[in-house]
Amino acid sequence: MAKPIKFDESSDNEDLQALFDSIAAGSEVSMQATKETAPVVDTSGDSDDLQALFDSVSSQVQESATPDPVQSKAGAAEAPTVFSSLGQMTRELHDTLRELGHDKILGEAARTIPDARQRLSYIVQMTEQAASRALNAIEIAKPLQEDMQTQSEALGSRWGKVFANQLSAEEFKLLATDTHAFLSTVPKQTRATNEQLTEIMMAQDFQDLTGQVIKKVVELVENLETQLLRVLLEAKPPEIKVEAPAGMLNGPVINAEGRSDVVTSQSQVDDLLESLGF
Amino acid sequence: MTDPSKIKFLVVDDFSTMRRIVRNLLKELGYTNAEEAEDGAVALQKLKAGSYDFVISDWNMPNMDGLQLLQAVRADPALKHLPVLMITAEAKKENIIAAAQSGASGYIVKPFTAGTLNDKLVKIFEKLAQSPA
Repeated sequence: MAKPIKFDESSDNEDLQALFDSIAAGSEVSMQATKETAPVVDTSGDSDDLQALFDSVSSQVQESATPDPVQSKAGAAEAPTVFSSLGQMTRELHDTLRELGHDKILGEAARTIPDARQRLSYIVQMTEQAASRALNAIEIAKPLQEDMQTQSEALGSRWGKVFANQLSAEEFKLLATDTHAFLSTVPKQTRATNEQLTEIMMAQDFQDLTGQVIKKVVELVENLETQLLRVLLEAKPPEIKVEAPAGMLNGPVINAEGRSDVVTSQSQVDDLLESLGF
Repeated sequence: MTDPSKIKFLVVDDFSTMRRIVRNLLKELGYTNAEEAEDGAVALQKLKAGSYDFVISDWNMPNMDGLQLLQAVRADPALKHLPVLMITAEAKKENIIAAAQSGASGYIVKPFTAGTLNDKLVKIFEKLAQSPA
């Protein structure tokens, strides 16, 4: 698990380096101010120092914030100070992470994301193809079934008349001919329908492939989580509460266990609406 | 009773599979006149341009989601009378309430059955028949 920590300047992407440099050069005044209060970054990665750094920059930001929000012009003048303070803070944080070797961990974690993205796209593609295949087969088979239904119902009612003694000899002969013709088409129709059913069965083969890919992505995500947690836990100031933003676009509920804020059936939806008078 | 094939539906969902399924279900119920849109923005455009009688919409879509579409429809004098039936995977109570308060004509949660779709359509048409235009 011990990876050699390389203090390698060239690991910084060139654009990132240029950005940091431009921000650092941008405002001499605020640089001075932050230098006074910012603690020296030491390799022991003391979280107290990090906390102090954040505190000092945030108090700076508060000082420079205009008390009267209506004076947007004054606020705009304050923006460069805030911006360069944040830039400084980000630079310090970046340096700290680099010296702790965490940037390597984060870098590796980030590199697995395009792979995960690709895998998920593959899954979307496979499931879409499977759905399409199945729906195509269904659209072919349904008319065949409906046709057999209509024809057999019509013949059935004519035969009913036979047993009710309502058909003439001529009509009966015609019915026999028609029935004979129908019976010779039935095997053809049922065979065709069966073919479509087999096609639908085969279209389910995606599940095996997507299942494997999903397992792989779960693995990737677990690794990502572990790596991120490692970094977070080391840098975490005390008393951090993370509230997951609750939006309206959550998608299907995967696990409703222990939750009272979701419904799990159409009848629950209907009950809820009824109880509100809708 | 209006001829079902005369009623013009707009089916809105970002997944083409779901649009296809809903259209096929509508066809089975006799509603053979249906068009599609892949998000709320395209849907709103089509609604403003064409003479639609019924909107069936998903919630979670890019560009303009189902709730935003519903609100836009209800805010437009030319469109506000349109029945809007939500068919969505969003199952939080807060979603259901928000949809109802924004004027949704019905709310179906995915996965759903053909029977449920039929029930809700019938219910909405009954309501429409009762209230004056």
